[in-house]
Amino acid sequence: MTQLENEAGGSPHFDEMTGLLYLEQQLDDDHSKAIEQHASTCANCRELLRVLKNESVWLREAIVAEDEAIPARFVGEPERKASMWGWFAALGFGAAGAYTLWSGIVEPWLTQASNMGFTQGNLMTMLFFSGAFWNGWTDVGRAVEFLAMVTLGGVAVWALRRYFRRQAGVAAVMGMLGLALIAPVPAHAAETAHGDPNYTLPQGSEVKTDLVVSADHAQIDGTVDGDLIVFSRDVEVTGHVGGDILDFSQELRMNGKVDGNLRAFSRSLVVNGSVAKNLMALVHTLEVSRQSTVGGSATLLTADGMLSGPIEGDILALAEQLEIDGAIGGNVNVRGADLTIGPTADIAGQTEFRGPKQPEVAPGAKLASPIAVTIEKTTPEYSTWRYYWHQTLRWGAAFLLGLVLFLLAPGAFLDATNAANRVGLSMGIGLLFLVGIPVAAAIACVTIVGLGVGIATLLVYIVAIYMSQVFVGGWLGEKLLGAGVGIGPVLARLALGLAILRVIRVIPFVGPLSMWVVIVWGLGAYVLTLHKRVRYQIAKA
Amino acid sequence: MNSTELAELLSRVRAGDADAWGELYRGYAPAIFRFCRRALPSREDAEDATNEVFMKVRQKLGTYDASRPFTAWLYKVASNHCWDMLRRRRIRQDLETGDVETLPLEHPDPGQLERLQTEHTSKEVRAGLDKLPDRARMALVLRYFSDMSYDEIAETLGVRRAFVGVLLLRARHQLREVLQGGGESAREATAGGRL
Repeated sequence: MTQLENEAGGSPHFDEMTGLLYLEQQLDDDHSKAIEQHASTCANCRELLRVLKNESVWLREAIVAEDEAIPARFVGEPERKASMWGWFAALGFGAAGAYTLWSGIVEPWLTQASNMGFTQGNLMTMLFFSGAFWNGWTDVGRAVEFLAMVTLGGVAVWALRRYFRRQAGVAAVMGMLGLALIAPVPAHAAETAHGDPNYTLPQGSEVKTDLVVSADHAQIDGTVDGDLIVFSRDVEVTGHVGGDILDFSQELRMNGKVDGNLRAFSRSLVVNGSVAKNLMALVHTLEVSRQSTVGGSATLLTADGMLSGPIEGDILALAEQLEIDGAIGGNVNVRGADLTIGPTADIAGQTEFRGPKQPEVAPGAKLASPIAVTIEKTTPEYSTWRYYWHQTLRWGAAFLLGLVLFLLAPGAFLDATNAANRVGLSMGIGLLFLVGIPVAAAIACVTIVGLGVGIATLLVYIVAIYMSQVFVGGWLGEKLLGAGVGIGPVLARLALGLAILRVIRVIPFVGPLSMWVVIVWGLGAYVLTLHKRVRYQIAKA
Repeated sequence: MNSTELAELLSRVRAGDADAWGELYRGYAPAIFRFCRRALPSREDAEDATNEVFMKVRQKLGTYDASRPFTAWLYKVASNHCWDMLRRRRIRQDLETGDVETLPLEHPDPGQLERLQTEHTSKEVRAGLDKLPDRARMALVLRYFSDMSYDEIAETLGVRRAFVGVLLLRARHQLREVLQGGGESAREATAGGRL
């Protein structure tokens, strides 16, 4: 305590600090008595005490005042009784949506895939776990299965956490982490080569097993008896690959011979050699030259494709521009902006094209039947009932997802809608994750052992993007209807919010923009909620 | 709710009675929300914190000493949680020394202080609180909302007991500055490392 100047013949004035401590009864008796004695004779210090005391009362009244609205969720506990209309509506729309999704999209693709030589019934199994890709997929498959089990285990631990002792919870988490660390077993029975920075398999050399190459430039002039898996900036194959080629590169030139399939995920792919089975390409530019051969089907996702060489099977393509000027043994099914059939094209099967304009067919082109063209309008068909039915189904599917999320994790659901209140923060984080997650997943995929993790991350990412509308819809509904308590009001808010988002979504120009805003915003809210909950669980442990 | 009813309610909650938990929640959540709203800079933060405080209460109820007032214990849990939230965000300034020397020692102008009290509504005071540095705001809330003792405030904020009075006085000065239109100076003081 600091005392100020002495008055002649009197006790010293006390300062504001001392006065406050006196009023708050924090001084011992001797000091208190000294203050009282001084104040009884000093008008200034008495006035100071009076003003400080009034300030304390004023502060207390302002701080404890109950003139602020309390969120409804804190006024009462959420009701346990469910609204039956919500259940029936959600299940009905969900079932209709699932049926439409299956009959309209999945089944036709499965049929098409089956026609193209992919005979396995399950598309995901075919894509990810088929031996046609790579024997090492078995290990990746195990890793993905393991990750799925770990995830399920984590959910179970989370759900049962209140029944666990803290030590048991920590042990379970640590145990799972340990298992996760040892889970991604690298593909065995394969030779691995790292370029320094380049890698060359010389002509005359032979690799008896699979070959996994990671290099700046990879040159395969020799023979690989098994599969060739290559991660490289650019790749040239002039040799012989007995199995499949699985390529992740910027540029692949395949001038050699492949006994299996060629699967390429690259910026540019040029095929000058022979592919005994199927060609699958997710590339920006594609050229299948006249001297090449493809023994099976071609599945293509490309911006600019040129098919001059013979393809014995079918073609299924999603392409911005595609030119076919070679012999095609099967059917051709193309969806895109621009299809050109060149003068030396010879298509034995049926040709279907779906795009904004008629395909160009050169005079000399040979087609077994006229091209079945479906002109797609760039604007939705607002005048058809089917359009509105689809919009309703989409609303129903989103509502069903929101209902499931709310029932499974009501706290997280409400937290996520609440996190959407932080618009700027949510959108900033959402944008960061919208861009960052695919990049991180791609990096994980390139590391081979992280392939399963990368794919799983992308799947979760896609689901999270879809979920974003639920959180923004919930937020919007709460802004309009208020924060009513119980499952009924929550569902009503969600239904209204999603309906409004759906209506905005169909407005030309504004709709696509709103979709991106909702994705970024909702994704950010989701990430914020996850972060908060993970942080909380860590703190609790 | 009298002490007997509260004790019975708490024992039912400990036994896992969901209805009892609902009753406890309904009874105390509004007050805890108000506390969190005063302690934290935004309404959203307060809503988050209230949820989390009750999760902690449910976990820690077994450690509650029935010989002490339940409300005091509840505010203690809430204040620890709010302060922890602020601390984790690294927006709290941990400097506690050097302030004593910078405290104004002269008597405040009583007339000016009285005008301040009559010219500003409770709502304006609370808006002013939101603009204070976290520790200053927290000190005022702990003292004047939760009626915590200096020992409890010192324990919650992790400062020496002797420093609590300094904190409170400094907070009052900062609030006066904010209400007089000098809010930026309070923030600048925080940014500059002076509490």
